Amino acid sequence: MRRVSRRRTSQILLGLMALLLASTLVFLYLKSSRDQTATYTQSRDLIRQLQQLNAQWDSEVLKARIAITHNYDPLVTPLTDMTRLWSDLQGRDTYHNPADLPGWQASQAEYLTAIQEKARLVDQFKSHNAVLRNSLAFLPTAEDDIQAQFNRINDEGRLQLQGVATDTYDLLLSSLEFAQVTSDDRAADILVGLGKLAINKESLPSEFQAPVDILSNHISLILREQPVVNSLLERIAAVPVAARLDDLTTHLNQDQQAADLVDHQYHRYLLIFSTLLVVLLLYLAVRLLRSFAEINRVNRALQSANETLEQRVERRTQQLKDAQSELMDSARQAGMAEIATNVLHNVGNVLNSVNISADLVTRKLRSSKALGLGKAMQLINAHQGDLGTFLTEDEKGKLLPGYLNQLVEAIAVEQQGMSDELTQLSKSVDHIKDIVSTQQSYAGASKLLEPVNISALMDDALRMNAGALSRHHVTVLKAYAPVPEILGDKHRLLLIMVNLISNAKYAMSNLSERPRQITLTVETEGDDTLKISVKDDGEGIPAENMTRIFTHGFTTRKEGHGFGLHSCALAAVEMNGQLSAHSDGPGLGAVFTLTIPLTLAGSSS
Amino acid sequence: MSNVVNHRFGLMFALCLGTGAPLSAAPLNEALKPLPPVPVLDPAKVELGRQLFNEPRLSVNNTLSCASCHQLTTGGADNKPFSIGFDGKPVQINTPSVFNASLNFKQFWNGRVDTLEAQVAQVVISPVEMGSDWNTVVHNLAALPAYQNAFKQAYPDGVTASNVQNALATYERTLLTPNSRFDQYLLGNTEILTTQEKYGYQRFKDYGCIACHQGVNIGGNMFQKFGVMGDYFEKRGNPLESDLGRYLLTQDEEDRHVFKVPSLRNVAVTAPYFHDASAKTLEEAVDVMFKYQLGRNPSQEDKDLIIEFLKTLTGEWAGKPL
Repeated sequence: MRRVSRRRTSQILLGLMALLLASTLVFLYLKSSRDQTATYTQSRDLIRQLQQLNAQWDSEVLKARIAITHNYDPLVTPLTDMTRLWSDLQGRDTYHNPADLPGWQASQAEYLTAIQEKARLVDQFKSHNAVLRNSLAFLPTAEDDIQAQFNRINDEGRLQLQGVATDTYDLLLSSLEFAQVTSDDRAADILVGLGKLAINKESLPSEFQAPVDILSNHISLILREQPVVNSLLERIAAVPVAARLDDLTTHLNQDQQAADLVDHQYHRYLLIFSTLLVVLLLYLAVRLLRSFAEINRVNRALQSANETLEQRVERRTQQLKDAQSELMDSARQAGMAEIATNVLHNVGNVLNSVNISADLVTRKLRSSKALGLGKAMQLINAHQGDLGTFLTEDEKGKLLPGYLNQLVEAIAVEQQGMSDELTQLSKSVDHIKDIVSTQQSYAGASKLLEPVNISALMDDALRMNAGALSRHHVTVLKAYAPVPEILGDKHRLLLIMVNLISNAKYAMSNLSERPRQITLTVETEGDDTLKISVKDDGEGIPAENMTRIFTHGFTTRKEGHGFGLHSCALAAVEMNGQLSAHSDGPGLGAVFTLTIPLTLAGSSS
Repeated sequence: MSNVVNHRFGLMFALCLGTGAPLSAAPLNEALKPLPPVPVLDPAKVELGRQLFNEPRLSVNNTLSCASCHQLTTGGADNKPFSIGFDGKPVQINTPSVFNASLNFKQFWNGRVDTLEAQVAQVVISPVEMGSDWNTVVHNLAALPAYQNAFKQAYPDGVTASNVQNALATYERTLLTPNSRFDQYLLGNTEILTTQEKYGYQRFKDYGCIACHQGVNIGGNMFQKFGVMGDYFEKRGNPLESDLGRYLLTQDEEDRHVFKVPSLRNVAVTAPYFHDASAKTLEEAVDVMFKYQLGRNPSQEDKDLIIEFLKTLTGEWAGKPL
């Protein structure tokens, strides 16, 4: 009981240990293989794309600045794309050291502020740059319009207005220069020029008013917008979007490095732990191998011990069997002796009366009056010549007939007595026979069941008849179905078989025209019946004898006593079986079949 | 010469064989860009968006749907100066077309939101437009089994405010007007425009209209001050709050009277013009633009040519010209 609970405890401990080791392994594995690298790379990638778009945006701004293109879509799309990428980045579960999370979020917020500021500035730049570029592009045309008006007036007038034309042209040039190099000096120059133009306008003809106004409006616009555009460009350049993105990258890098460091640490732990596990496994494997060897050795020893034991048991069993059968034999012999004593005693008793009867008869014979008949015959023989005279004359002769009469009566009485005595004797003999047969049936009544090998038993029966069979040139056909050892009365079976074989042999003794052959058949019928049959092809059994064949005293042989088949049938019934005969008719042979219950030797003991 | 022609013809023929496209040369490289193809979006969402677009339950008293003001048969807007709100009173600002709205860089006249979804969100709760609130809208829509099923099919989480907005925006992204004659021209079919129209396009570029009206939507990609070269509002008088433009958002003096530059696509069919609907005709609008934006004084002929050109910007909806 205690051992069982100790075993259970150790099993639980072992299970807990295995669980502990496994969970440690899993823990270390998860810790070391938590794959942040993918998200990290993707996030880095997104940020790189953002940087690229930002750079593209900058370059588009510069392109717009130098009026390479009028299309402002390229100044819109980078922001759209960046917004999309940013939401991608946000949507990604980028791992971050919780301690560093506020820093990361702050960097993100800074980026958002920067990008919003830049978007605002770029929008303003678009507006201002568009009108500025438009006016700058228009300036030469506007000047041309004024020049066209100059050309339209006559030479004289033109000469007067030469100064105005030069001033206008100067103003145009300084405006264009201003667009290239914006400085306060030039701005002042332009302001002066505009003032001059306004004054000149007064002196110009009316058709000049509109073109001059338009020109001065546009130059004013350039004067106003150019610094705005320039400052916007500077401010756009100053917006630290790229720097913020770099910050984010740095953040990510640091984070990843830290994570890598932790990762490596856990990798190391995992390695050490794995090594330990491997060592443990090796140790266990060695232990296991040793245990196996031990188990094998013990197994072999056990096996050999087992074999010896079996042999010894077999031997002992055999001895026991022998002893048992010896015992049985002796018991039977003892029984037989007892029976014999009994029988002999009874027979002896009866023999007394037989003896007395025989004595009486002997004595009667010895003192028989028949001797007187001899004396009478001597007298007659002596008086053969004068028999008549003698019988009538002689004294003695005259007495003779009376004597003979008396003698006849005496002999008749004597015979009557002897006959009575012999009847008595015959009765006594019958009595002896009864005693013997009673004792025989007593002896048979005791059943002795023992394992019987049917085929061996059949062979025994044949062997007992072997001499006779060979003498009569009888061949035996054996048709034995494989029958297991059964539990049966060996002696009764043997008695029956010997009888049946002997009968068969006799049945064929008059057979000369064909070979003599007995067929012995052993078969089972169903699970519970054994059939043994003896078949001959001898004289057969007439139908009228069939009913009497098993009755006591019935025989067809001269020297037969009609006891064999009768006792066989009795023995069969005593074994809970049955003996039956079958014949197709005289001269067609006969089959005797013994049917007994099949009890397997191993089944009831 | 004939060799060159033959050669070019052969090249075109090869291109035709190769692409199976209608006879066309290479697209032109202009500051104005052709309309992109109609995007292929989830049909369930588009169909749901179409139903919602025509759904008066979006307004508080079930009187207005999106389609009430954005009529697809009349250029994606109505032809009133100011559309009528749910309460029967006109709104303060002219209704812009819903067509090609997805190509605008921001939504509303003053560009106060970045996405169509946000635009939908504001219009529904605007006290002068639909006057509803999103809880009510979601509640009303969810009460209808047909909508419940349609939403279930298109969105895993069923009827929600953001799904309504997304469905509507998705539908609106399909509302492009392809195949305008000018688009065909840009795609290389230079024969489609008349000489007058081509001259008109040339004037459009020369006078600097293109400074703001360019790109894929011919406008709609920048803000601009209304009255660059003169004070439009002083001249017009009767200042309104809506005249302040982006100032309403930013409170920045810089943004006073600054509006999103509207798209010129379908401009011929979307009168009246400007946020205040002050220009009843294209001529008036072009005059105002010249005066206050360009500060130029063009000839009547040039203006006519430009208008000729602007008329080529009218595209098709449902296979029919607008």
